[in-house]
Amino acid sequence: MDISERLNLNTTTDEEVEPYLEITTALVQKRRSQGRIIFDRFLRNRIAVGGAVFLLLLLLFCFAGPLVWKADPNLPDLSNVSATLASPTIAHPFGTDDVGRDTMARMMSGGRVSLLVGLTSMLMSLVLGIGIGALAGFYGGIIDNVLMRFTDVILSVPLYLLLFVLSASFTDGTPKSVIILIAIFGWTYAARLVRGEFLSLKEREYILASRTIGARDFRLMFRHILPNAAGPIIVNATLLIGTNIILESVLSYFGFGIKPPDASWGSMISTGQNLFALDPWMVTFPALGIFLTVLSLNLVGDGLRDALDPYMTER
Amino acid sequence: MGRYILRRCLQAIPLLFLLTIAMFGLIHLLPGGPEAVLFNPHLTAQARADLRLRMGLDDPIYIQYFKWLTSALTGNFGSSFVTNEPVSTVIGRAFPNTLELFVSALVLALVVAILLGVISGVRQGTITDYGLTILAYAGIAMPVFLLGLLVDDLFGVALKWFPTSGTESVAVVFTNPFSAFLDHLWYLALPMTVLAIAFIAGWSRYLRSSMIETVKQDYMRTARAKGVGPVALLFRHALRNALIPLITVVALDFGSVAGGAAITEGVFAWHGMGLLFLDSLDRRNYPVLIAMLMIGAFFVVMFNLIADILYGVMDPRIRYS
Repeated sequence: MDISERLNLNTTTDEEVEPYLEITTALVQKRRSQGRIIFDRFLRNRIAVGGAVFLLLLLLFCFAGPLVWKADPNLPDLSNVSATLASPTIAHPFGTDDVGRDTMARMMSGGRVSLLVGLTSMLMSLVLGIGIGALAGFYGGIIDNVLMRFTDVILSVPLYLLLFVLSASFTDGTPKSVIILIAIFGWTYAARLVRGEFLSLKEREYILASRTIGARDFRLMFRHILPNAAGPIIVNATLLIGTNIILESVLSYFGFGIKPPDASWGSMISTGQNLFALDPWMVTFPALGIFLTVLSLNLVGDGLRDALDPYMTER
Repeated sequence: MGRYILRRCLQAIPLLFLLTIAMFGLIHLLPGGPEAVLFNPHLTAQARADLRLRMGLDDPIYIQYFKWLTSALTGNFGSSFVTNEPVSTVIGRAFPNTLELFVSALVLALVVAILLGVISGVRQGTITDYGLTILAYAGIAMPVFLLGLLVDDLFGVALKWFPTSGTESVAVVFTNPFSAFLDHLWYLALPMTVLAIAFIAGWSRYLRSSMIETVKQDYMRTARAKGVGPVALLFRHALRNALIPLITVVALDFGSVAGGAAITEGVFAWHGMGLLFLDSLDRRNYPVLIAMLMIGAFFVVMFNLIADILYGVMDPRIRYS
C-alpha cells in the first residue's frame, strides 16, 4: 500500500501530466483524413468559398426565386399587353421578351433547366472521360489504342448530323435524354486530357515508389495519379458547363427536351440573338447568367485544385 | 518512336474504312432523302426517275456504297447533287478559306493564349490573374454569334477599319498579286479575331492551370539556382513541361478544321466548310457530305496522332509500348 501510494504520487503530479496531454490532443487533431485536409484547405480559400456561396445564391435565385417573384414565365404580362421587348423597369426588372413575358421569371425557370442540364451532363461527361482516359493512359498498348480510336470515331461524327438523324425518330425528348445525349458527346476532351496527363504522370518516381510497396493499379490510378491530373480536368469541367448550356438550346431546336414556351438560358439567347438590334437586354441576362455560373464554378474549381495540390503551403 | 508512328498510320486505314461505312449509313438515315428535299416538286414522274437514276439513288444502299467506295479510292468523289460540279471542286472552293481562317486564328490564339496563360499562372491569385480570369470566362460565356456581331458592328460598321463581310473586294481588279493578297488579309482580320477569341479563352485556362503546377516543381528551383534568367526559366523550363494539356486541346480544336466554324463563317459571310456543311446537310447533298465527313475524320485522326507525337517530344519520359 505504502509503496504503491508513493509510486502513484511520484509519477502523476499535476504539473507533469497536463502539458503532455495537451500535446497529444493537438497531435490527434492534426491527423485528418485526406478528404478532410482538402476540405479544410478549401474553406480557408476565401475566393473559392465566395464562388461556392455565389453558386448557391444562383441556385437559390432559380429554385426559390419564384416563391417571391410571382410573374408567370410562360405567359405575357396581361396587365400591360403592350409591354413587349421592354427594357428593365420596376415592373419587369430584367425587361420583357418579344411576346411580353417577364424576363426575370424566365431567367428563374430557364435557369432551373440550364443548371440542371449543364451540371449533370458535365458530371456524366467527366466520369466517362476520366474513366476512359485513365484506363487508356495508365495501361497503354492495346487498351490505349482501342479506347483512343473509339474516341476518334466519336470526335469524327458531327453532332449536327447525328441530331438531324435522331430528330426523325426521337420526338419526345425529356431533360434526361438531353443530358445523356450531351454527355455522350462531351466526354472526348476530358478523356484525351486525362490520358495525356496519365501518360506523363505514370512515369514519375512516386508511382514507382507506391508500386514497390504493393499498391494496386486501381489505387495508383485514382488515388495517386488522378489528384495530380486535377488541373486540366477542372478547367475542362468549367468550360463544359458553358458549352452544355448552349448545346441544350441547339438540341431543343432539333426537338429534343425543352420545348417552347418553357424557357432555358440557351434558348433565351438564341431567340434574343435574332432580336438583338431591337432589344439587347433579351440576350444580356441569360448570357450574364451563364457567365456568372461558369465564373463562380471556376473559382470553386480553382480552390479545389489548390486544395488538392501538395505543393501549396498551408495558408 | 518511328515504329509507333508507322503503326498508328497503319491503324488509321481500317479505322477510316470503318468510318466510311458508318458515315454512309448515317447520311442515308437522314430524314427525307434528296428526292423529298432537293427535287423540284413540279417534276414529272419521268424526270424524277431520270434524276434518281443519274444520282444512283435507285440502287440498294450497299451497292451505292460500293460504287462510291470504288470511285473514291481512285480519287473521284462524284459530283454535287446541287450544282453538278465535281465534289473536289466544291470542297476545293471552301476548304482553302476555312484553312486560312483556322491557321491564322490558331497562330494568333496560340501566341496570345500562351502569354496570358503564363502570366496568369505565374501571378496566380493577383489582380492581374483575376482580371484575366474574368475576361476569359466572359469570352466563353459570350455567344459566338453575338461576339461576331459586336466585333463587326464596332470595327466594320462604326469605325470602318475592316470590311464587314466577304472574302475579298468585288469589282476590283488587282494587277499586283501582293495587293490582292493584302486585300484578302484585310477581309480575314475580323473573322480570324472572333475565332481566335474563342480559342484564347479556353486555351489560356488550360495553360494557366498547368503552369501553376509546373512553377512549383523542384527543377524550377534548381534552374533558378543555376542562374537561368527569368524569361528562359519560364519559357524554356516551365512552359515545355506545362504544354501537354494545351497540346491535347489545340489538337482537338484544330482537328475540327474540316467542319469549319459555321457561326463565325455565317456572321462574316466567309464561304468556308462550316457553311458548306450546313448547306449540304440541309439539301441532302450526299456526295459532298460524305466527302466532308471523311476529310473531317482524317483531320481528327491526324491531329490526335500529332498530339501524341508532341507529348513524347515535350516529355521524354512518355514512352509508347
